[in-house]
Amino acid sequence: MMHPFTIPFVVGFTMMFIVLIIRYSNWFRGFSIENRKRIANHMFSRKTIQALNEIFKESLLHLKIYKTNPILGYMHMSFAFGWFLLIVGGKLETWYYTGNFVNPPQYAIFFRFFHPVTEATTIHRIFDFYMEFSLLIVLSGLAIAMVKRIRKRVTGIKNTTHHTRANRFALTVLWFIFPLRLLAESATTSIHGGGSYLTKITSTLPFHTTVELPLWWAYSISLGMFFLCLPFSRYLHIPTEMITILLKKWGVKPELKLTTNKGLQAFEIHSCSGCGICLDACPAIGVGNNKFQSVYFINEMRNGKDHYKTTGLCLSCGSCQQSCPVGIKLEPLRIAARENLNSTMQFIHTYLPSKMILWPETTNVILYTGCMGRMNPRTTKSIKKLLAEANIEYIHVDEDENICCGRPMALAGAKEQAEIMISRNRDIIHSYNGKVLVTTCPICFKQFKNSYNLNLPVMHHSMYINQLMEKGKLKRHQSELNFSYHDPCELGRAFNCYDAPREVLKHAGNVIQLSMEKEKSLCCGNNMGTILLKREDRQQITDKTLTVLSKNNPDYIVTSCPVCKNTLSQQSSIPVKDIAEVLTELPGIKQKKEPSASPLPQGKAD
Amino acid sequence: MCPLNFGYSVSEVKVIDLNQEKPVWLKKIFKLEPSLYRCISCGNCAAICTAGHFTEMKFYRLCLNAFRGQTSELKNNAKACILCGKCQFACPRGVNIRHAIMLITQIQQP
Ligand code: SF4
Ligand code: SF4
Ligand code: SF4
Ligand code: SF4
Repeated sequence: MMHPFTIPFVVGFTMMFIVLIIRYSNWFRGFSIENRKRIANHMFSRKTIQALNEIFKESLLHLKIYKTNPILGYMHMSFAFGWFLLIVGGKLETWYYTGNFVNPPQYAIFFRFFHPVTEATTIHRIFDFYMEFSLLIVLSGLAIAMVKRIRKRVTGIKNTTHHTRANRFALTVLWFIFPLRLLAESATTSIHGGGSYLTKITSTLPFHTTVELPLWWAYSISLGMFFLCLPFSRYLHIPTEMITILLKKWGVKPELKLTTNKGLQAFEIHSCSGCGICLDACPAIGVGNNKFQSVYFINEMRNGKDHYKTTGLCLSCGSCQQSCPVGIKLEPLRIAARENLNSTMQFIHTYLPSKMILWPETTNVILYTGCMGRMNPRTTKSIKKLLAEANIEYIHVDEDENICCGRPMALAGAKEQAEIMISRNRDIIHSYNGKVLVTTCPICFKQFKNSYNLNLPVMHHSMYINQLMEKGKLKRHQSELNFSYHDPCELGRAFNCYDAPREVLKHAGNVIQLSMEKEKSLCCGNNMGTILLKREDRQQITDKTLTVLSKNNPDYIVTSCPVCKNTLSQQSSIPVKDIAEVLTELPGIKQKKEPSASPLPQGKAD
Repeated sequence: MCPLNFGYSVSEVKVIDLNQEKPVWLKKIFKLEPSLYRCISCGNCAAICTAGHFTEMKFYRLCLNAFRGQTSELKNNAKACILCGKCQFACPRGVNIRHAIMLITQIQQP
């Protein structure tokens, strides 16, 4: 059973296990006490079963990739699942054949060499059939992979990743494994007989008896080499992805400080398969000469290379995170990387005004328009008009002077510094007795939601207007106007808020369907997330986005973010409006005046 | 002999010395954020600035002073910025002001 040709495989396989255990235990050592507790608490719970289910769906079947791109999904599935079928089949075959469950792996892998002609019972025939079927699945995936490398367009992806030397070597070896297996099995079949439908065909090739053993050697060597390379190449993602899924299901949180070889982040970084789906998802792809997309960023982190550019150029639009089939939390990773890179930044913000209040004023809505609101007085005016029209009491807390919500600061990697702004703003907001905080800026909205711990609910104005309309407090006349709605990244992808603004617009006119919208919507090009991107490049992104939005000649491009609105309107030939402005400014949708309507209160209603 | 007295003199600090070599750290900032060269000191950035509302911080002045080699207050002034980004929307020249400020606050001035 222990023929010397199996040695390369055994050595490679064992080495892989040793290296993996060393690397993983290093990463495990980086877990904080809380995370260790989480693991201990959830290890023997339903969570583990859920994780196994997800591993089956994502690591073997690759359903998410399949949904994005069926051909690419099939390619990944055929490799992973086909290989999995082979392993399971090999296990069962040897178990059945020897009566022992435990057999060395090389026995299963090179089974055909040891037992070319299995006795012709039905069970054996089924095994043979099954094994060759699985091999065929893998080979079909391999064929697609080869075509993809040669002609990427065939598989429907526009951009593929460029690999480092170690990766290319591992890839080449991987490509050899299964064709060699087929050849070796065919040679054995042609000489000794046996086999099923696949080798029946291939064994008709003129195999000389002397080629059989070298072929098995080659197969064993290629396997061994692949396993030897695995922990040092991107194929490390195969085992790592599965562990990451488990860890996440167990509730493990990222460590506070990002270190590429510690804790959950280490597992996340190494579970990127380099599939390149994030390339096509990025609005900045093909703009300028910037290669900062997540796959490059992750690669640099993995290899300990300088990643100042890949972190700083990114717009934090969230598109890649949304589409990443492995579910890597790319945005927090980038921000954590910025925290490390910009740790020497110094700021002094003690000058920011603080608020002391003895008698909190009571009101319905606390309106916060943020920094960008100051640059969009029209939007502010419109939302105030709408609130007044619906007879809602409100207080505009940052009417005179405003403190930034702190998100741009946090995005730049100064989380602690942002805390000062957060606490000042929180004091101001808490100094009123409001029922709901409404903000016109999605950036502020995200920051309020995620980092503020407020004592009242927060709503973006599009959601609030929608609510008012549903309650019948605001009415509009549906006109013939056509709107293109631009989803702001920080509202759409960040909060899945796609319907509220569209519902509002439908009260006023028609909403045009776009080729890229909702979770696929493009960034306006000026997301506060980017630090380094040049204006020219940002403008190009804006142009691309406008091309999508301007299709079918809408009367207005509508958005619900002051940043998007400013950015788009700079370059658009079609007027760009905020959703609140649509309801107050457009002539065609004049509000239906109720005969009994009371005179509208002006300004601060009290 | 004392020189001819014209009744006025040129103040040292107001001389613009174009020959002056920029210190190495300042050169580095300009290299990392070349869009600084585009600034025309129009002042838009300061007009809209929150930090400028409360403090002496005015980005166009930072920029101007950096060009003139007057760097003593550069870092201190920049520290007031809250990176809100309003200035970048107002800037007609596309200066990456936030990045420039992030760099300035990180310099290790000798
Ligand atoms: S980050 Fe995600 S989408 Fe991008 S290459 Fe890695 S696994 Fe694929
Ligand atoms: S967050 Fe957006 S801009 Fe940044 S890499 Fe991902 S897709 Fe590209
Ligand atoms: S707005 Fe731009 S060009 Fe004008 S002074 Fe500021 S940085 Fe310079
Ligand atoms: S980013 Fe800084 S310099 Fe620019 S407006 Fe905001 S506080 Fe002022």
